[in-house]
Amino acid sequence: MERRKLTSAALVFTLLGALLFLPPLATVFQIRRLVLGVPAEVIYLFAVWVLLIVGAWWLSKRLPHEGEDEG
Amino acid sequence: MLSADLVIATGIAYVGLLFLIAYVSDRRARKTRSSFLRSPFVYTLAISVYCTSWTFYGSVGSAARNGLEYLAIYLGPTIVFIGWWFVLRRLVLISHNQRITSIADLLSSRFAKSSRLAVLVTVIAVIGIAPYIALQLKAVTSSIQAIAGAREFNEGTLRGVDDVGLAFGVAAGMALFTVLFGTRNVDAKEQHHGVVAAIAFEAVVKLAALLAVGLFVIFAGGGFEAIFSRAEAAGHDIYSAGTFDDRWVAMNVLSIAAIICLPRQFQITVVENSDANHLRTAAWAFPAYLLLMSLFTLPIALYGLTTMPAGANPDMFVLTLPLAADQEGLALFAFIGGFSSATSMIIVESIALSIMVSNHIVMPLVLRFSQGEGVGDGRGVSRLLLNSRRFSIALILTLGFSYFYLTRDSDALAPIGLISFCGVAQFLPAIIAALFWKDASLKAATAAVAVGFVVWAWSSFLPSFESASPVVAQLMAEGPWGIHWLRPEALFGVEGIDPLANAVFWSLFLNTGTLVIVSLFTSQSALERVQATLFVDLFRRPDAVGSLIRGSATADDLQFVAQRVLGTEKANAIFASAGAAGSAPTPQFIDRLERELAGSIGAASAHVMLSKVVSGGTVSLEEVLQMADETQQAIEYSQELERTSAELRDTAHKLEQANRQLRELDSQKDEFLSQVSHEVRTPMTSIRSFSEILLGEGTLEEEERQRFIATIHKESLRLTRLLDEILDLSALERGEQGWSNVPIDAEEALDRAVEVCSALARQRGLELAVDKRAAGAVVEADADRLSQVLINLISNAIKYNDAPEPRVEVRSRRTRRHYTVEVIDNGPGIAREERSLLFEKFWRGAVGTTMAPGAGLGLAISRQIISHMNGKLELVPTRDRGACFRITLPLPEVAQVAE
Repeated sequence: MERRKLTSAALVFTLLGALLFLPPLATVFQIRRLVLGVPAEVIYLFAVWVLLIVGAWWLSKRLPHEGEDEG
Repeated sequence: MLSADLVIATGIAYVGLLFLIAYVSDRRARKTRSSFLRSPFVYTLAISVYCTSWTFYGSVGSAARNGLEYLAIYLGPTIVFIGWWFVLRRLVLISHNQRITSIADLLSSRFAKSSRLAVLVTVIAVIGIAPYIALQLKAVTSSIQAIAGAREFNEGTLRGVDDVGLAFGVAAGMALFTVLFGTRNVDAKEQHHGVVAAIAFEAVVKLAALLAVGLFVIFAGGGFEAIFSRAEAAGHDIYSAGTFDDRWVAMNVLSIAAIICLPRQFQITVVENSDANHLRTAAWAFPAYLLLMSLFTLPIALYGLTTMPAGANPDMFVLTLPLAADQEGLALFAFIGGFSSATSMIIVESIALSIMVSNHIVMPLVLRFSQGEGVGDGRGVSRLLLNSRRFSIALILTLGFSYFYLTRDSDALAPIGLISFCGVAQFLPAIIAALFWKDASLKAATAAVAVGFVVWAWSSFLPSFESASPVVAQLMAEGPWGIHWLRPEALFGVEGIDPLANAVFWSLFLNTGTLVIVSLFTSQSALERVQATLFVDLFRRPDAVGSLIRGSATADDLQFVAQRVLGTEKANAIFASAGAAGSAPTPQFIDRLERELAGSIGAASAHVMLSKVVSGGTVSLEEVLQMADETQQAIEYSQELERTSAELRDTAHKLEQANRQLRELDSQKDEFLSQVSHEVRTPMTSIRSFSEILLGEGTLEEEERQRFIATIHKESLRLTRLLDEILDLSALERGEQGWSNVPIDAEEALDRAVEVCSALARQRGLELAVDKRAAGAVVEADADRLSQVLINLISNAIKYNDAPEPRVEVRSRRTRRHYTVEVIDNGPGIAREERSLLFEKFWRGAVGTTMAPGAGLGLAISRQIISHMNGKLELVPTRDRGACFRITLPLPEVAQVAE
């Protein structure tokens, strides 16, 4: 992916992460049911969290390093 | 139960260990530039100073009371860190560039280096953090009480000590520790490697302790599912109904603000950062750390709720659950973990705040009142700094303790922390504007922070004293002077929303609104614009000076600067001619103006002046303009002097040159005359003496007379030839040429010359090699004259060749643009010291004078002829014996040849 697109992707990724943690998206899994023995919304929040960590790790490897030309 | 003495001794021993780590790391960091201490992982671990005893103890309490809500405190920072590229990276890079030492420094630097704004931010930070420090004191106090057990609390060392006394002891101990820890020396960049190492160590300890307790709870409770279903069976709401409401959003916003604005986070993330690329690792590693820290919070809370007796403090579950299971070792470890999180927070927070207090409040005051006494030497300053830091740390912990004392009746930990979060969140709009909005002005930022602070103090800080003060309680119930819509927790009459959401919304809404509106209606000073550009256009400066001026300055600014440097009339004329006054300046115009400025004060001075404006590190814009003003007169005066003396120098130089030329010409003339006289005199003498003999003696034999007459004839021919040559040369030297250059075949001329000389060569028994030839070349020349030159060169080469096997080689070749003839001999060559004289008139050289007759005009004439053909005659160095003369003639353009 070229640099400008990568930066845009990082921005969208961040904003999406914020949206996923906030209502109304956060309430989607408030279904009063246990998943793997844990309330579904807890699983949801932690799953999104893990995805964000993995995504941030993926992006941090690819975003341009300091000293490189800025787009 | 553990004894209080043991717990306190453990705490002190742990602090001693921290001190040792800090001390050793500091020494190592000083010795080696790159080490494990500067790795991104240590940096990430240090950032987790975010997880204080609020996280360690308070999260469990919060989860027990409000379910999933505690997570919001960690989701906000996660968002900020996965979006590190946009805010944190900018903060770090700007702070590196501008040598920012605190959040107050950052805002003041962006907004025209205003000290008033710095003081405001510092005061707000100190007041806003006081509840947070109180929280740590409360947590440590409660944890000591909890682990030592209520029964034994009044025994041993703690006999007769209540919780206030204990908290005071903790606060005093922390103050002492922080002073010893953080103010041993003053680093120019305000980096504390030892502290960072100790904080990273504490991060590991608290994570390990919390994970240990969590695993213990999962093990004891029989797994996640058992814990959750048992809690549900016991009647607890495990599904966190209604969690994602206004309060959830408010807490997310607050935690986003806090991870950026908390002084300790700014200190660790931005100021202590040694490499912006470390953020790359922290971007995922810090959220991962937060995730691990909050992984077991909910199970611990629910397990505590179902197994502990009703009325047990859920904030202390982390300690009391292992104790209830007689796991005293684990409980002590958990205590150390909680103690760790409290100490790391207090240490870093009070270091960060003490930097702000001492740099922006104490130092300016001391310097103002002492009239700069004791500042002369560097030691005085650093001693003063250290003492003001120590004083600030004591002040900050005193404030924290005071808050603890006043609010000691409220029980939960988390709400206290949120008050602090909301307080420091008031910096967020100004910081975001500082990074992204060039038009945000100083007045707007100051007003916005002040408005936000007032609203926070009213709607969040004040209500926390409700239980301590009846006046506050009444105020909250009825509003000030009975004004209902000003009730702190229902501002503007909006009822039914959570008090925290109320405070967060109104404070940040009014704060941001003030920032935007005041910015739109105020103007920026020149320095503000420069700083704004440095902050906002962080990455957009290929040539720092030009683009910065371009980005920030308006025509009025430029005209102002130009007038100072160029004078009013000239500056106005330039602006009038470009029609640029009042409008936004175009890049072309600014380029022109830059050249004008450089032309007036010199490019270097202009550059120095501009870069000083741009870097803004030490010299303010006003100072530079003033400097320009003062230096302007000196510059004008010295320029006047310089111009006059330059003219004089120039004239003198010209005169000197002319004089030298005349002298040279004079000596040349003398030399020429003497040479000519000498050359003429020799044949004349022989002609005269022979004709005298012929006139005087009548007895000469016919044969002898014939010989004398022949000699006279020969000498007169020689004389005529000499005079012809002289005339020829002088005509050539005067620039006259008796021929016109026409396209001729140079090879033909060369053939003729070789033919003429081959007789001479045969006569001398010399090999004349003409193998390497160009295949015909048309040059612009005169055929006869070219032949004359070639004959001269070849015959010279033949005549002066004294080699045993004499050989002369003639080569010609053509390149794309030139035709070249080389005459190479294996004769004596030209001595190095004679080479420069070779083409002089009458020069014959040491060999020439003895070996063959001649006036020494041949080469001089040849060179003149060739140069009249736009060519070159030169002596080229040869590898071995002999000489090589080369004629280079330009080939006419291809088009002309075609004609």
